[in-house]
Amino acid sequence: MTLIEFVHVGFAYGSRSVIRDLDATISENECIAIVGPNGAGKTTLLRLAAATLTPSRGEVYLKSKALRDLKQREIARSVAFVPQNVEVPFSFTVEQFVEQGRTPFLKMFGGLGISDYDAMRRAMELTDTWSLRSRVFNQLSGGERQRVKIALGLAQRPQLLLLDEPMQHLDIGRQFEMIDLIDSLRREGIAIVASMHDLALIEGTFSSVWLMSRDEPMQQGSPEEMLRPEILESVFRCSPRHRPRLVERVRNRMEQAL
Amino acid sequence: MVWEVTEASAEPSHGWVQERSQWWLLGPLAALLVLAVLVAAGMGAVHVPAWHLIGSLIDGESLSADQRIILFTIRLPRIAAALLVGGGLSVSGLLFQGLFRNPLADPYIIGSSGGAVCGASIGVFLLPPVSLAGFSTTAILAFAGALGSITLVYWLARVDGRTPVLALLLAGFAVSTMLSYSSYFLEVLDRDFGTGMRVLASWLHGTIAQPTWPQLAIVAFMLAIGLAGSVPLARSLNTLALGEEYATHLGLSVQQVRIAVIVIGSILTAAAVSLGGLISFVGLIIPHMLRMVIGPDHVRLLPATALAGALFLVVADTVARTIIAPAELPVGVLTAFIGGPFFLYLLRKTKQEVMP
Repeated sequence: MTLIEFVHVGFAYGSRSVIRDLDATISENECIAIVGPNGAGKTTLLRLAAATLTPSRGEVYLKSKALRDLKQREIARSVAFVPQNVEVPFSFTVEQFVEQGRTPFLKMFGGLGISDYDAMRRAMELTDTWSLRSRVFNQLSGGERQRVKIALGLAQRPQLLLLDEPMQHLDIGRQFEMIDLIDSLRREGIAIVASMHDLALIEGTFSSVWLMSRDEPMQQGSPEEMLRPEILESVFRCSPRHRPRLVERVRNRMEQAL
Repeated sequence: MVWEVTEASAEPSHGWVQERSQWWLLGPLAALLVLAVLVAAGMGAVHVPAWHLIGSLIDGESLSADQRIILFTIRLPRIAAALLVGGGLSVSGLLFQGLFRNPLADPYIIGSSGGAVCGASIGVFLLPPVSLAGFSTTAILAFAGALGSITLVYWLARVDGRTPVLALLLAGFAVSTMLSYSSYFLEVLDRDFGTGMRVLASWLHGTIAQPTWPQLAIVAFMLAIGLAGSVPLARSLNTLALGEEYATHLGLSVQQVRIAVIVIGSILTAAAVSLGGLISFVGLIIPHMLRMVIGPDHVRLLPATALAGALFLVVADTVARTIIAPAELPVGVLTAFIGGPFFLYLLRKTKQEVMP
């Protein structure tokens, strides 16, 4: 089933056009990596799918209903957006933080019910953060914080999880843990779209790659098709003298092919 | 499917729900408040022991006629006023801190109290006393002043959906200074020297006036509206703490919450200011201390803040009116002495954000 469909979508911040005439779909069981240089519109695309931005042209559909006709509460029950940076001015504990994922389900005067607690608990178990539940969010390490942010998203019980730079500020060990987490969520049947900078981590977990560039239309394909030195070289505008380094970055793919 | 409960989580979450509850502080706070009221009622030039007071509530005969008059026309209204002012300022402080996502917000610091005084001054000095549905023009103008100033400060201090500490403090300082001096200006314009001036002086120093019971009833009513309105907002403020974009994504109507907090915070500020004038830092200290004890969840903080604010100001006002007896100290002096250093300490703790 198709979860999200972009139809001729364009988006501009003021006069600066970021996305032009985008057509794409996100289906159940898909795991998509968005790759591209800074400023190519990766975060914008995720925000359009989460409906925190409205397209300037075209339409985004959630299960064939236009996002602009849906209430944000309804959207947030199917689509969870995990932003890159979250600043919390107060010392919320992990469970108070994750609790906010239940917002789209709560009535104005109603408190949390047992089903809300079950959802929060399951979200924390899936992300291996249940043991952190009494810790203060602002005092966690980068890797722990990233997992707790995903727990908040999972507390929304989404069908689609949008991750904005989930690997940012993570050391290599935590990056591997994050890949394992994405892999396990994918196997649980949650569709995932993540913007990724480290190309070597994509293969094996992600089913397809969306390659965005600053002026060319977006290219889609399997990781094998997309993560080729010649394609990356043009999209990321790498000088030819860096080609050996680029090959090194994506060698993972070649070794598997051999 | 993924959401089915696994074996690990097969035991129900009830135990966890129990462990999460943080309501235990409310009982002790309420008990302390009752105790403080009883002791405060007994303190002053004429000493009335607490047990006589309790006795009189039971049989109505333990008090002499003099004591009765002192208690019911002087002390208890004053104590009730302190209670309402303390609760109102603390809760509006909590709401503004949540809205600005900034633990340094306080109705005094961000100019909302100054706006209320300025509005009230217009009522006292420029307009004939009229009342609308039981509310004096003064109370209504105080509300309008609080609403106007907080809206202005909010608009001035916001940068990209955030409110940096420095921007908030500067905007609040500029707006409240202008408003305070506008109040002086109105006083100079006033021809009927005397009454108005005394009223203004007591407002600007933060003195809890000697209220009548009908005045108290109106303020209590405003506070009740404010508190009732804060209840559904408390959870929204938790969500808003994640930032406006994230809160919007989660389905919170950020614009509605923003307007509701500004209106309700202004009602509470206006109610408090109309009895006590510019009493500084109460709205800063009380929510902050409670956060250290029961954590930052606004749902649990709200009732605790109302009780603790009332308790704090009943105690502070009793000290203020007895410490240099027979003279009285404005309670605003006392809260400034306690709250000022506390504010500076908090500012120092958040220094990195203020001076990057």
